[in-house]
Amino acid sequence: MSWGGQGRTDLANRALDKRRWRDFAIASPILGIFLLVSPFVTLFAGNQIFGMPLVFVYVYGIWALLILLARRIARRIDAQDNDA
Amino acid sequence: MVTSNVAVAVALAYVFMLFVVAALAERGIAAGRLSFLRSPLVYTLSLSVYCTGWTFYGAVGSAVRNGLEFAAIYIGPTLLFVGWFAILRKLVRIGRLQRTTSIADFISSRYGKSNGIAMMVTLLAVMASTPYIALQLQSITVSFDALTAATDGGHPDRAITAFWVAAGLAVFTILFGTRNVDVNERHDGVVTAIAVEAIVKLAALIAVGLFVVFWVNSGPSHTFDEMPDRMLTTPDGFGPRWYALNLLSAMAILTLPRMFHVMVVENADERHLRTASWAFPLYVFLISLFVLPIAVAGLSRLPEGSNPDLFVLTLPLAEGQAGLALFAFIGGFSAATSMVIVSSIAVSTMISNHLVMPVWLYLNRDRTISSGDVRTLLLTSRRVSIISILALGLLYFRLSGGGSELAAIGLIAFAGMAQLVPALLAGIFWRGATRAGAGLGLFVGAALWAYTLLLPSFGGSFLMSEATIAQGPFGIAILSPQAFLGLDGLDPLVHALFWSMAGNVTALVAGSLFSRASELERLQGALFVDVFRHSDEGASMTLTRTATSEDLFTLAQRILGATPAYELFVAEARGQGKSSGLPDPTPGFIEALERRLAGSMGSASAHAMVSQIAGGGTISVDDLMNIADETAQILQYSQALETQSKELEDTASQLRRANERLRALSDQKDAFLSQVSHELRTPMTSVRSFADILQSTEDLTSQEARRFIGIIGQESQRLTRILDEILDLSFLESGKANWQLSQVRLADVIERARQGTAALLDQKRSTFHVEGGDLVVMADFDRLSQVFINLFSNALKYGHPEAPVITVTAQSTGDTVMIDIHDNGPGIAPEDRTRVFEKFSRLAPTDIAGSAGLGLPISREIVRNLGGDLVLTDLSPGTTFRVTLKAGGTRRS
Repeated sequence: MSWGGQGRTDLANRALDKRRWRDFAIASPILGIFLLVSPFVTLFAGNQIFGMPLVFVYVYGIWALLILLARRIARRIDAQDNDA
Repeated sequence: MVTSNVAVAVALAYVFMLFVVAALAERGIAAGRLSFLRSPLVYTLSLSVYCTGWTFYGAVGSAVRNGLEFAAIYIGPTLLFVGWFAILRKLVRIGRLQRTTSIADFISSRYGKSNGIAMMVTLLAVMASTPYIALQLQSITVSFDALTAATDGGHPDRAITAFWVAAGLAVFTILFGTRNVDVNERHDGVVTAIAVEAIVKLAALIAVGLFVVFWVNSGPSHTFDEMPDRMLTTPDGFGPRWYALNLLSAMAILTLPRMFHVMVVENADERHLRTASWAFPLYVFLISLFVLPIAVAGLSRLPEGSNPDLFVLTLPLAEGQAGLALFAFIGGFSAATSMVIVSSIAVSTMISNHLVMPVWLYLNRDRTISSGDVRTLLLTSRRVSIISILALGLLYFRLSGGGSELAAIGLIAFAGMAQLVPALLAGIFWRGATRAGAGLGLFVGAALWAYTLLLPSFGGSFLMSEATIAQGPFGIAILSPQAFLGLDGLDPLVHALFWSMAGNVTALVAGSLFSRASELERLQGALFVDVFRHSDEGASMTLTRTATSEDLFTLAQRILGATPAYELFVAEARGQGKSSGLPDPTPGFIEALERRLAGSMGSASAHAMVSQIAGGGTISVDDLMNIADETAQILQYSQALETQSKELEDTASQLRRANERLRALSDQKDAFLSQVSHELRTPMTSVRSFADILQSTEDLTSQEARRFIGIIGQESQRLTRILDEILDLSFLESGKANWQLSQVRLADVIERARQGTAALLDQKRSTFHVEGGDLVVMADFDRLSQVFINLFSNALKYGHPEAPVITVTAQSTGDTVMIDIHDNGPGIAPEDRTRVFEKFSRLAPTDIAGSAGLGLPISREIVRNLGGDLVLTDLSPGTTFRVTLKAGGTRRS
């Protein structure tokens, strides 16, 4: 494959990658809604984990995961913009 | 313990510190230093005005009463921020491009810069903010009470505390919040102070939390030991109320005036939102992390009947930690004051831009261009508004008596401001949303909110009686505010949210579907909905308006001030390539100026003022096309392409056909030329050779000489004849022959032709039959004779060598007359039939034919020029030519 062809493939991949991270940004709150604002939460009522109530750990754990996910997405989108 | 003097001193010191921070920040940024104050971190911290005194103290109370429900107030916004890419990014981009000054300005600008919409939003904001501000005043006074009660014994006058707090906040807000008339220029001092307060309140809450978990309870695992089970869920077990609260808080953070102000209006850089997308959720995560532990500890350690809303303060006090309690008090104080400051800036901007300005514009409608300094008016009205808002909050606080019902006001305010969400989201995602729809939706939503939630919340003490709340107005149960249309058994908040949103959205959609958008609405709709598509070319879509540069300059001076206006106009003139004088008032410049003015006074007032000197304007067709739906554009484009390609195809095939014909003509021309030269060459050769003989032979008898000269004469005649025929043919083929047709009797023409061929006829023993000679045709007599002469002589030449018989049969078929000329000769061989009409084609050797072979082509051209045709028909034996001519009716003679 010629250099030009490779360059183009790389560009196309980068564009697709950009799109993908932007889709992640839109999809993550939907995941959050499913995990936190749905009957799903009720599955975790009752038990204990690490000496703490399971539902407390679950809600704050998912919350923290969402924050980490958002941070990663924001960093990626930032990096992509700086590339461009 | 903490005496009230100490508490007041600390609070005053803290407030003084805020003044200093704000002043330093403003100076530093103005001087170009301290640019880190415009960082994503400060932006995120300023967003924390979401966490007010109500959430600082009230979250713990909410956890005691409703378990995990308090988390919904933070999870909703978390989800909204994690999904920043979908909504917030668009809001911020539009807000920056349109120089939005407030949520009211944003919504009204989308719906055709409508003042009516702006007023409705402003009134709703005032209605929702006043009790909310009262709630902050209450939280400050109550916490002050709690902090000092143990030592002072007895309540200091709450009203006096509240008054001084309100007065101090008013001074701060006016000092730092109304420095510039352009709201779009950031209030760096205020934002920095808010950021400091954000850190203080978070640190205070975390300090109390860590104290509770590790000091009081010795570790996380013991923290939850004494927790009642009900606190591990929400009252309805993560049911409808949980969903409703998540949704409500996510909606409220979009539209609460203070949130919109810090999020959109004060945004310095769109990229800050990316950081905020995870940092703000992190902030609320941390601020809510210790709510449950504090609630549990308060329940188990504090005496029965203690106010759970004050656990944050009373727990450290009970444990003898006065310093920590003071810190917690300052934290709550920060939360409350930052909310009041930002809210009053945001709401006062709305009041001055959307209530005061329109009234002033109306009163001065005849002399707006020349009268007064609008900047002073704007600033004054903003300052007066701030004082009024705080006074209103104070009044509300006094009238409501600081009772517990205030605590519920937070969610009620949320639900009120959530009524703006349908209009807001439809505005940025649905181009079809119209002003009528938005206004109707807002009105219906707000009315249902007031009826089902706000008025019942007063518990019968205001406007709505207790009986009405319980049984409906006049006992009509179906209109009961908390079981509307018989919808029973729902939590009042969920019930109100459902009905107000259902009514709001339905009215918005129906109103939009049944109304037509004005041009300005359509333009703004396109700019908002397709902001990412248009932002590169944004300024190119404008209303076409005209005004004089002098008028525009006067207007700009009065609103922006002399220096900024001068700089703006000079920059524009430079941009237009002018070295001196005012810039040309292009539509683009008028639009840019209006946007700049909108940053000071809101888009509706700016539009009204500019329109007064520039007219309402129209949208050009190009711009209309530009804002047309994307699919419509693609459709149109592909249609245009299709037509174009079809046209191209047509042209190509036409060209191809033309090319073929040209080639054929060129071939014909070549063949013709070679034929002609060949034909001319033969007689020329004999003429030349005989002339040579005559010249070179000395002893030529006069008889011989005469014979040679005779041959030369004959050949010259032949040459002449050929040339005549060629000329004749080219004349006929050009189609320029324009003969006067007249009625010709066939018998006359045939007789004339017979005479013309008499020499040949007499040579042979020929017979001649004519049938139908009485018929009359439309023709030129001489030309038609020429045709018959040619045909007869052909029949004699190629016909029967000894006894030629020529039969002419004419018959009429309606409009045409067919004349068949038949001979009894050998006929024409099938392979030769197509060659008969070709030029210079002779079926016999030249000497027999005795002509150039142009007879038949000429004859056919003549007949065609007469409007008929000459063809070879297929009647054997012998040869038959058929002449078709137009019938000439019966001749009168």
